[in-house]
Formats: sequence, structure tokens, C-alpha cells
Amino acid sequence: MIQAVKTIPVVKGAFREYYFKQAKGVEEPEKIEQREFGYAQFGQLGMTRHLSFGSIKELHAMLVKEVPSDVYCSNAYYRSPTLPMQEKQWTGADLIFDIDGKDLDLPCVPSHTYPICISCGHASTFDEKKEYSCPLCGGKKADHVSIPCSKCIEGSKKEVKRLVEFLTGDLGMQRENIRVYFSGNNGFHIHITDNEYVPLDPQARSDVVGYLSGTGLMAESVGVRRGREENMSFIKFPRGGIEYGWRGRIADKLKIDSSSIIKLKHLVDQKGGYAGFKAELDRMAKEMGVRIDLQVTTDVHRIFRMPGTLNSKSGLAKTRCTDLESFNPFNDACLLGANKVSVRVKTHVKLKLKGESFNISKESAELPAFAAVYLICKGLAESL
Amino acid sequence: MGTGDLAKYPFLNEAGEYLRESGFGWEELERPDMKDIIDRATERIQVGAGGNVYDKLERYEIEILTFIVSLIMVKSIGIEPVLKKYALSEARRAEEFLTQDLKQQSETQRRSLFAKIFEDLFKLKIDVAEDGRLFKVRVADYLARSSHFHEQEWKLINRLVHAGHVYLDADETVRLVRNELSVLIYDKVKAMTLPTLPQAIKVRADELRARLAPRYEYKISAVTEYPPCVKHAVEVMSKGENLPHSARVMLATYMLAIGKPVDEIVMMFQNAPDFNEKITRYQVEHLAGMKGSRTKYSVPSCEKLRNENLCFATAECDGIINPVQFGRKRK
Repeated sequence: MIQAVKTIPVVKGAFREYYFKQAKGVEEPEKIEQREFGYAQFGQLGMTRHLSFGSIKELHAMLVKEVPSDVYCSNAYYRSPTLPMQEKQWTGADLIFDIDGKDLDLPCVPSHTYPICISCGHASTFDEKKEYSCPLCGGKKADHVSIPCSKCIEGSKKEVKRLVEFLTGDLGMQRENIRVYFSGNNGFHIHITDNEYVPLDPQARSDVVGYLSGTGLMAESVGVRRGREENMSFIKFPRGGIEYGWRGRIADKLKIDSSSIIKLKHLVDQKGGYAGFKAELDRMAKEMGVRIDLQVTTDVHRIFRMPGTLNSKSGLAKTRCTDLESFNPFNDACLLGANKVSVRVKTHVKLKLKGESFNISKESAELPAFAAVYLICKGLAESL
Repeated sequence: MGTGDLAKYPFLNEAGEYLRESGFGWEELERPDMKDIIDRATERIQVGAGGNVYDKLERYEIEILTFIVSLIMVKSIGIEPVLKKYALSEARRAEEFLTQDLKQQSETQRRSLFAKIFEDLFKLKIDVAEDGRLFKVRVADYLARSSHFHEQEWKLINRLVHAGHVYLDADETVRLVRNELSVLIYDKVKAMTLPTLPQAIKVRADELRARLAPRYEYKISAVTEYPPCVKHAVEVMSKGENLPHSARVMLATYMLAIGKPVDEIVMMFQNAPDFNEKITRYQVEHLAGMKGSRTKYSVPSCEKLRNENLCFATAECDGIINPVQFGRKRK
């Protein structure tokens, strides 16, 4: 993200005020002394990592002193969190999931996407059909920023609900062990506090993601087996039946049970044999699965945005959603102050924050800090 | 647990207790009637080192003694690949008995068997499923073991999963702990400290060592010009340590790519604890495109190897993107 140096004081000032007044909103991770922390700073590339805090108070003190742009904490537990990665001695990691609105391919996205020219920083409106060319300098490369709308949030919430259903149903987790957070930008983070999953290695976590996202389901699992000849098939249901889990999900969808040999055979033939059925199965499983980021869940050394800290992509906070249904990130995660800030807005934008609608078409505007910071963080405004 | 079970599972703690209670001592191994036990132990090790499973089953007194004497002899032989192969073969033997028992015995007996073997030894809690036919394990316990199996049917999505449990049949349940069984036997031998051995055992162990050692001698191949990832795999293999499937694929495809003959490649795997020449040959020929799908497999890219933690890049790699480029890209 391009951030002109002169805009930094405004954003940093708003962040400082937040951490000064509301540092207590930063959630203390369990076993804080075994975690690795890291943070990024305004106007600086890279991240300061391998930090450790003995208590949440020490962390609060750092937040007020440094006013970082982003703050992260490992989901992993280490014997020595401050040593280099090879020497930290990993002892386990909480299971986490990331659902990102931008991965959902929602139809509303183009209408609130703004390309920002990499070479001159000019923002414009997005035209899907045309190849990008900056109207100001003719540059061909752009960062695309999105101001998520309520449909985006609803789309992500739907995935979260589906994920929670999988976790409490198939995987038998207790609902109180599943914590849902708004990521601070355009998605949700799900933290699992069930200790059973802590020791699992990346491969096992990847298997969990495969399960949740509906990847790698074999036709044999629902009773369709490959025959001896090319594309031939026969039906033999697995020993455990097809009542539960993915088998049950597919059986419901196909309206079959373990007595429907002829019906299933017929369905397979309709799809043109084994290969056709398998392709259809893959499509169904993908549609019924949850869209989660594989990388985030399988990386057991990651440092992950801390609950209660601000996200420099938006100025919103990563916020716990105790009631997902009623949660509105544009109110509930918008926690910055409201003092007036003068900004130059780069393109025509609409947004709604803290119940206030903004439709800004003129270049310079005076906005409450939470809205000004939001637009600056998105790269759509500069402070005057 | 009955004495018949101790015969099949002589690694259980109760077997050791039986020995202690019977007041068995080292010196007794010198007795002439122990010759039969030592013969059996010798055969058991030879069968195991050859990659097969020793299938004779006698009275528990004999089995427990044979097992203990085998461990002592393997320790005394002191060749790592022999120990690895022996441990795996003992695990496979126990696995066969376990599978039979899980299928045949009544429910109460089954439960006690689980409690003993799975829970005590491996901290794995297994229950008989509600229908009495299948067994269930916690999802996380399942994943911790199954995620290292390569077959697609072991992926969680292809299992019967319900309310936090994975449902398995007897064969699958036992397959889940095969590796742990083998590690258990291996650790038992590693943890032993041997006193001066009775002559009767020492002689036989020395004979066995002399017979088995030549198989493992040559084996440190000249590895200087291979890329570091391949070098690492060759080193691990020559020590007789286990190498993950993906690393074996890398090793074989690399050797094929540089034109090594199949025979030589097969022999590179002979120190593997689970080596079976026939299977390895088929697999190498398969990778070479001579068998099965007739697809010739290429060497995995550096990126893929990095993702699988098989990359040990050095400065000499010099930005190559596939191990076969190693050494070729020099200016």
C-alpha cells in the first residue's frame, strides 16, 4: 500500500489515541509467556519479530510507546519464543482459520473496487472490461483496493456459519471452544481453543482443511468404485455406511441411502460413468465445503493479527463477535475517535461507518477521524 | 489379559513382570535347554532383517523368552538398519495378531485389549462403536497418525466422521498404530544396557553380525556432486533411517534423470527399514514410465521440495529451480 509520508501522522495519531484509551481491549492470549509477538511500524518496511511479553501489561506499554501499524501474536507455543525459529522449540499451536471476503468471488466486488496506480498513486473507478491504464500517468499496474459492502460481510458470515457447523457437528467441537473474530478488514478469523488440536503438525492441519473445504473426496467413499475397464464402475457401499460426515452430506444431496444401489448406479451412468460422476462429486463437494485459506491453517509458525488491535489496511479493529448474526463491523469494529480531519479524497467513494453514510465526490473534505483514517488506510485519501 | 496374549504381545509390560516373577536370571541362558530359545531368536532376527514376518507362535513362556533374547541379540549385533528392520517386522507380526483378535474375540476381551495396548502404550483411546462392528477414535488422535499415510483413502474427508470421532474397522485401527509399535520395539532395544553376555548368546550374535554386516557395508555412496536435497536423502537412506515417501520419489526420479540404471537405484533403497526389492523395483520402474500409466515422472521442483521440507539449499544451488539443474548452471 502506498502511504504518503504526510498522511502517517494523522493515522498514527488516531492509532495512538486508541491504544492510549482502549489498550484494555487488546485480548490477552493464553500462556502469553510462550508466544512470539511481532509488529509493523508506520512508514517502515518489514516486521519486528521474535518478541516476547511476560504479561499483557508489558504489551500494552509497547503499544502506547511504539504505536505500531499492525500487531501480531503467534498461534504457536514455544519454550523460547525470542530465539531464532530453529531454536524456539515449538511445543504446539492453536488451530486457526481465515475466511477472507476477497476469496469468495462475490458479484458485488467490482462495484466497490478501486485501482490505485502503482507509479503515481492515482485512484480511479474500476472497469472490469478494460485493461487497466492510469488516467493520469498511463501506468499499467495497479493495486486493487476494495471497500467491502454489507453483502461482502454477509457472504463471509455465511462461510463462518458453515465452518462452525462443520466444527461442532462432524468434528464434535464445543461451541465455546470456537472464537470468531472480525479480521479488521474484510473477513473473519476463527480461533479454536480445543487443546486436542494443539499438537497437530502442518500435514494433519492440511487434512483438516481438506475436510472442511471438500477437497479430495473419493467416489469410492460414497460407494462408486472404478470398474476394470476404462470409465466402468460398480456400486459397493463402504463398510461403515454412508450415513454421516461427507458421505452423509453427499447421500442427502443425491437422495440415496445404503440401499439405493440401483439408483446410484443410474446416477453414475447419467453422468457418463466413473469419471463424469467423480467430476460432479468434486464440484458438489467444493460447493458444500467452506472457503478457508489453507496457508493460514497449516503454517504453525505464523504470527497472526492480535484480537483487539487495529488493522492498518482499514483502521478497524480485529474484534470478537459474540453474536455473529447481529455483528456489524462498520459499527462494532470502528473504534477510532471522531475529531475532524481534512483530507483530499482521490476518487468518488461511498461508505458507511458508525451509522453515518459518506458519499464523497468533491476532492477535499472534512471527515471524522475514523472515516478519514479508513480512506487513508485504503489508499483512497491523503491528509491535507 | 491372558497368557496367550502375552505370547502374541511379548512387548507388553506384563510380559516383563512375568519374567521378573518367575525369577529368571541371565545365567539361565547358559543352560543347555535354552539352546532352543536362542535358535528361535536367531531365526526371528534373520527373518526380520530379511524384511519378512516371523510367524511361529508357541507357548507364552517360550515366546516371551524368545522375544527378550532377540532384543538382546539385536542390541549386541549393533547394526542400525538391522535394528530398524527387526523392529518393523516385530510390529507387523503384532499387527497381524491384533487384527485377528479385534475381529474374533468378544467385546469385553476387545476392550481390555485396547485398554492395554492402545491406551497404555500409545495414549490412544479407542472405543467400540455403538453398532459393535466398528471402532472409533477421536478426530485429533486419528489425524496425528493418519496424516503421514499417503493413500487418498486415509484423508479425513474419505473416512466416516461423526461427532468428533473417526470410525474404523479392525484392520484400519491396527494400521493406525503400526509405526508406533515399531518405534516401541526400537526404543526398547535402544534403551537396553547389556551386561557381559552369556557365551551362548554372544557366539550366536557374533555369527549373525558377520552374516548380516556385508549387506550394509559398501553403502556410503560417493555423494559429492549431488544437489544437497538428494545428498541428504542418500545419507539418510544409507544410515537405514526412514525416508518419507516424497523424499523417496525425489531420490528415484533424480537418479533416473541423471541416467542411473534401475538396478542401481533399487539398491540405493535396500537399507530402508521396510525394503522389499520387488516392490521397490516396481515403484522405480513405474516412475521411469516402464510400468503402469507409462508416464515418466519428472524430478519435483525446488519449490515443491521446499514446501515439503525436503530442500536443504546451499549457496551452490545458485538459484536453480529443479535439482537436476544442480551443477549445470555454472558460468
